[in-house]
Amino acid sequence: MLGSAALASSSAAEPKTKTHTVVIENMQFNPATLTVAKGERVVWVNKDLFPHTVTADNKAFDSKDVAANASWTYVAAKAGEYPYGCTLHPTMKAKLIVK
Amino acid sequence: MKFAYAVWAGTLMLAATAAWGQGAKVTDAQIAQIVVTANQVDIDAGKLAETKATNPDVKAFGQRMVTDHTGVNKSAVELVTKLHVTPEPSATSQALQKGGDENLAALKKLSGAAFDKAYIDHEVAYHEQVLSALDKTLIPDATNADLKALLVKVRPAFVDHLQHAKQLQAQLGK
Repeated sequence: MLGSAALASSSAAEPKTKTHTVVIENMQFNPATLTVAKGERVVWVNKDLFPHTVTADNKAFDSKDVAANASWTYVAAKAGEYPYGCTLHPTMKAKLIVK
Repeated sequence: MKFAYAVWAGTLMLAATAAWGQGAKVTDAQIAQIVVTANQVDIDAGKLAETKATNPDVKAFGQRMVTDHTGVNKSAVELVTKLHVTPEPSATSQALQKGGDENLAALKKLSGAAFDKAYIDHEVAYHEQVLSALDKTLIPDATNADLKALLVKVRPAFVDHLQHAKQLQAQLGK
């Protein structure tokens, strides 16, 4: 009871942070380039049959293994351009741009 | 190891000739068995590489093959169970199994850099041949829409694995 009340009041009081979704499927990040505002959330959803990672080339973020049908959320804290990829599958490349 | 590569390529060509040479189509039940066997032989080789490879990148590649192909096989088994299809052996699946067994036997005799090179050479050949089979036979011949969709879905993984294996092949050749 307490928990649900707290949850309800917090979601009513705070404006929702925008959440963007990147789908990982068929060994690709889709969209391949995503632009978000600082502070927004990005959720990567792995729809492939095996794990992937979401890892910035400069290591600003690294999901480690994201299992099949699992997801990973990152809050884009710092502006910049972040080329990233999957460390397990070197052909998978994409870019996150934080304005 | 040129020998293992040649044996493997020969086995798959033979398989292709035996099963598909006369334009005979493979059935969904046969495709299911080919998919399961193709994944399983690469899982077996990957498990060997996990323990025997010396180069850390080759070892990691072996682990990747075990994980990815296990994931694919899990979905394949779930799908055929759902469709009530019993995987059926064919000349192709038997040749794949034989090729896989011969590859393992050849690899087990090797160690160090020779093992790493032979394993990766074989992985390049294997993924090229499976991609060719997917494009020329398995995807076109699959009649069940879900089975076809699964084959289409796993194809990019074979492309990635092939590129990855080729990168390692170039790295080992230096």
